[in-house]
Amino acid sequence: MKKLLAGILSFSMMSLALAGCGSNDQPQAGGAGGEAKGEPQKLVISTWGFSEDFFRKEVYEPFEKEHNVKIVLEIGNNAERLNKIRQGSSDVDLIYLSDYYAQQGIESGAFEKIDRSRIPNLDQIYDIAKAPLGEEYGPAYTIGQFGIAYNPKLVKTEIKDWKDLWNPELAGKLTLPSITSTTGPMVLDSASQIAGSKEFNEDQAFAKMKEVNQGVVKFYDKTSEYVNMFGQEEIGVGPIMEMYFKDIKAAVPEAVFVQPASGGYAVMNTVNIVKGSKNKALAEDFINYQLSKEVQEKTAKAKIDSPVNKTVQLTEEEAKGVTYGEETVSKLRMMDMKFVNEHSKAWIDRWNREITQ
Amino acid sequence: MRKTGLYLLLLPGVLFLTLFMVIPIVMTIASTFYQDGSFTIQGYLQFLTDAYFLKIMLTTLQVSLVTTIACVLIGFPAAYYISKLGPRKKGILLALAIFPLLTSSVVRSFSWMIILGKKGLLNSSLLAIGLIDKPLEILYTPTAMMIGLIHLFLPLIIITLVGVMENIDPDLLKAAESLGASKLTAFWKVIVPLSVPGLIIGSILVFVGSLTAYTTPALLGGKQRVISTFLYQNAITLNDWHLASVIATIMIVITFVVIYFMNKLATKLNPKG
Repeated sequence: MKKLLAGILSFSMMSLALAGCGSNDQPQAGGAGGEAKGEPQKLVISTWGFSEDFFRKEVYEPFEKEHNVKIVLEIGNNAERLNKIRQGSSDVDLIYLSDYYAQQGIESGAFEKIDRSRIPNLDQIYDIAKAPLGEEYGPAYTIGQFGIAYNPKLVKTEIKDWKDLWNPELAGKLTLPSITSTTGPMVLDSASQIAGSKEFNEDQAFAKMKEVNQGVVKFYDKTSEYVNMFGQEEIGVGPIMEMYFKDIKAAVPEAVFVQPASGGYAVMNTVNIVKGSKNKALAEDFINYQLSKEVQEKTAKAKIDSPVNKTVQLTEEEAKGVTYGEETVSKLRMMDMKFVNEHSKAWIDRWNREITQ
Repeated sequence: MRKTGLYLLLLPGVLFLTLFMVIPIVMTIASTFYQDGSFTIQGYLQFLTDAYFLKIMLTTLQVSLVTTIACVLIGFPAAYYISKLGPRKKGILLALAIFPLLTSSVVRSFSWMIILGKKGLLNSSLLAIGLIDKPLEILYTPTAMMIGLIHLFLPLIIITLVGVMENIDPDLLKAAESLGASKLTAFWKVIVPLSVPGLIIGSILVFVGSLTAYTTPALLGGKQRVISTFLYQNAITLNDWHLASVIATIMIVITFVVIYFMNKLATKLNPKG
């Protein structure tokens, strides 16, 4: 018994000592050098969790080996994950969020300021992706297009632009994103434009939304909900991000993705360092790695994330279903996330009262 | 000495409940009366004078009430039948009744999506036999929500009722019949009043469960909101924990009011129970 106790004690002493080594190694491992030995550091990344196997093998593992680090994931949707770090009780180092939610994070002071000189790959990415939410915060590592998908079996008229969603023939076949999702405000913006207003006009937008509301089967909060309803033919048409079209096509091979004539919207996913992270340098290295040609090319070829790195070259086949090329990206409509965030609470309240009845 | 020892046995449970239930609930409720450091009931006034909030509350109460009544109507005969069986058959049927509880409510909601959808089992069979010529719109309506909730909570009411009905002495029925009561009268005058305690507990479980259910309304419901999805939106998406706490407190109050009136009803129906 005594022997066993002594064994446990000495073992825990040893692991304590090793853990000590690990933290001593920190500055070294945080640098470019990969020779740090001993207990690996832990880097906690908060992300959505789609294509987890791919990221684990193709993206995280090479980084883990090079920097002697163990990557731990925290999975969930934008809102849940942002909420967790806002509560201040998590050990997340890096957080992936859409620009809409990242802006909320910035405003509640949840992020650390990044050191751009430590992220040289920023020079290789599109200008609009470099600092979508300000120089102090993280870049966009992917820009996706928000357009429209439809099922020609159920929807007989051709869909070309946002205004076609207001066609009364689509009643009972239409889904739109809920106002609380990243793309919700984009639909509101398009409603305002269709109503004939150049600048965003809240009253006109909501009046236009009320027109289409009757025909909406359900407002979706998650892309998976959309794909599910599309596959079950509960819906035949609705706006969706281009990156998810492959899942839709898998369920309904006839499905068509439309780049709206008046322009799709840019959805930017950003990566930021969480306030209080003990691994800031390592986290910056990871951001740099995420923007590298190597990672951007891999994720684009797997049709998981559209690339922002200009040096990534894709063949026509590889570019299918990916928002690719400077020309395509330059045509996308951009939302002013600061403006959206200032008004989102009022919009959500009004949406609840006027639309979701 | 012996007695204190026995009280010590209670300590772990009491400690756990105090730390992880009583204190958080009291803190949640207390927090709704303080905003910016001063006492206020503004949150409640705002909630209770707003037609939109009241409509959500009304929808929720309606859905919970219909679910409870349906569960009682379906569960009572089933429970009575099961309680009359021999131990072997009873075991099998009880296990079958409980079986749905073993799958998560997410899985069950997904199955209902497949059954109730436009191309679902229900619509395609009804179309095939020519009862309807256009698919019924059930999925993403309050009806779908109620169907899902009834499925979710029916086992609860069956289990509680079987437990109570088993303990009704069969001689009472024989006595009633020998005194001239018909089978129906005997059932109505003997079985029903004696089952009231089970009925009340079961109904409270179903009602409170439906009131607070989140997954089923979120997945099967359509555009209309219920209290729990509204609470979720306020807490998680809008980060408005104050309003979320106000809603939580209102849910707690509704629960207690319902329990109070159910108990009143129970004493009325079965004064000796």
